[in-house]
Amino acid sequence: MDVLDLARAQFAVTGVLHFLFVVLTLGLAPLVAIMQTRHVITGKPVLERMARFWGQIYVINYALGVFTGLVMEFQFGLSWSGLSRYAGDVFGAPLAVETMGAFFLESTFLGLWIFGWGRLPRWLHLACIWLVTLTAYASAYWVLVANSFLQNPAGAEVRGDHLVLTDFGALLTNPTLVFALPHVLGAGLFTGSSVIIGASAYQLFRRTREWEFFVRSLRVGVVGALVGILVTVGFGFAQFGPVGQIQPGKFRGAAVGTSLGFMILIGELALFGVLFVLTPLLFRDWLARWRWIHPLLMLVTPMPFIAAILGWLVREIGRQPWIVYGRLTVKDAMSPGLTPGMITASFVAFTAVLGLLAVIDYVLIARTVRRGPAAATLGAPGQPDPAAPSSPCHPQAAF
Amino acid sequence: MDILWLGVFALLLIGYFALEGFDIGIGMLLPVLGRTREERDRLVAGMAPFVLAGEVWLVAVAGVLFGAFPHLEGETLFALYPLVVGLLVSWVIRDAGLWFRRRLDGRAWRAFWGGALCAGSYGLALTWGLALAALVQGGPVLTPLGVGYAAVVVGVFAIHGRRFAAWRAGGPGRTGRALLGSAALAAVPVAVPLAVAAPWLLDHVAPSGTLRVLTLVILPCVPVMVAAQVWVWRAFGRRARAGVGARVPSFF
Repeated sequence: MDVLDLARAQFAVTGVLHFLFVVLTLGLAPLVAIMQTRHVITGKPVLERMARFWGQIYVINYALGVFTGLVMEFQFGLSWSGLSRYAGDVFGAPLAVETMGAFFLESTFLGLWIFGWGRLPRWLHLACIWLVTLTAYASAYWVLVANSFLQNPAGAEVRGDHLVLTDFGALLTNPTLVFALPHVLGAGLFTGSSVIIGASAYQLFRRTREWEFFVRSLRVGVVGALVGILVTVGFGFAQFGPVGQIQPGKFRGAAVGTSLGFMILIGELALFGVLFVLTPLLFRDWLARWRWIHPLLMLVTPMPFIAAILGWLVREIGRQPWIVYGRLTVKDAMSPGLTPGMITASFVAFTAVLGLLAVIDYVLIARTVRRGPAAATLGAPGQPDPAAPSSPCHPQAAF
Repeated sequence: MDILWLGVFALLLIGYFALEGFDIGIGMLLPVLGRTREERDRLVAGMAPFVLAGEVWLVAVAGVLFGAFPHLEGETLFALYPLVVGLLVSWVIRDAGLWFRRRLDGRAWRAFWGGALCAGSYGLALTWGLALAALVQGGPVLTPLGVGYAAVVVGVFAIHGRRFAAWRAGGPGRTGRALLGSAALAAVPVAVPLAVAAPWLLDHVAPSGTLRVLTLVILPCVPVMVAAQVWVWRAFGRRARAGVGARVPSFF
């Protein structure tokens, strides 16, 4: 592999890892927010325990989304400085807005939510998780604005040797954006719901003592999956119109065609299964009572993740060899002077660290599911706070 | 408009050093300040609510660099390639230490991720020092001056971390003003290069059309950003600790 291949592979590995975690973050955030809202309104303890348990899974997953996102953001400068030289005046703006107007707030409010259990007033604490959801969605919007610009450089003109921003409105209403955003948010909701369904099925199959907890969770999961898959499939097919006009050759390659085929297969099977099997079986909680169906539900949990990666591959491989479609090639965007030594060393470092942490993260999520809600530590009441001084002669007062 | 965005950039970078410096400092000093596991738990729990709100300042720095100084973004990050890679790896390892440390109870598990937290914090301070020196010198990534500067950054972060730990623990003389003083000290190593580089930064600012759009979209977010940060310090500051929620165990 030459330097270009390595730089592309590095970005692809980081991007795939990022997307695996982010797609779950996007889906679990609103579901946890709904659980907590229902608790605050009805006061039912089981709903609070649900928000804490699924919230803990959400938070463990969130960590890897951040790690991989940081590495991706800086890779633009490390490997692809030609992109910022040619299109930075346009492409940089949505990314700047994403960091300040979305991620900055998301992370700050998430800190308030994680550490604010039992400290903040109930309604303000609830507001935090909704603000986290809102800013996560805003983040998805701005990242997709930037990505859609690469697919279809709307709102920009060539001046001399680079692009300048001429029409911000056109950038924000890019035809490759308007159907892709709900498609991605729907896929997130479907993924989050699938994880809740799979984990609940696991616990129910093991004849959990937390029957009510997981029956309720299963219902939330199925309703979320129904909404999610309808939105995903609907807006997925809706994209063919604009993409066919803007990027006519997009689906021609073998890799793109295969990915697209498998993704559509997963999507349609999922739509069929959720619509005609899972949803009707909510009647009298048959889905929760029929144990033979639970291993099947566990088995299909990875499917939405696979579909999400395939969809991402279609979108990004389909624009090759362009980084900015029709304007700048990936090859020309690579940092001049990037050597095989540099890219190999950073590739190994990023992949080793992020890959290892991703595996550990999934093990921690699986362990959280296995141990069940009684062991959830997020917002757990009743133990003394290690941050509070235990006595006046605290050891830290010594310095 | 150019001056405004230079100011935003400088404010975010200085804010990062002042607000994240103590987290990095505590991470470095974890084995020294926390002799027992309980002490280390208490130290980490003390900084935990502030980390997420502190590190986002650097994410915003990167965003503003890309949005308002797009030509510098590629040029600078590429020039500092090994340092940026080192900084990112350190950052991820430090954060993994924080997120994973309390997920399991085993002694070896906690010790390992405590070690990651400490090593990652040193990595962050050292790569920042080397990077700032290389930027000012406009030269190679490893110079004697760079090594000295890295030692300075480690030193001021350590002082800042110690002050924060003392402030969290309470007691007479551990005032917010002392913490503010060490925050100012932690910001010096970045404020000086920023002042030196200001004309160069102004030369590379994005065209006014881009800046207008950035101003229009981001300005309305600024009050919310400030309010969220103030809320963090009010909710988790020293005075708030005596409240009901003080009995909730820390997640980090």
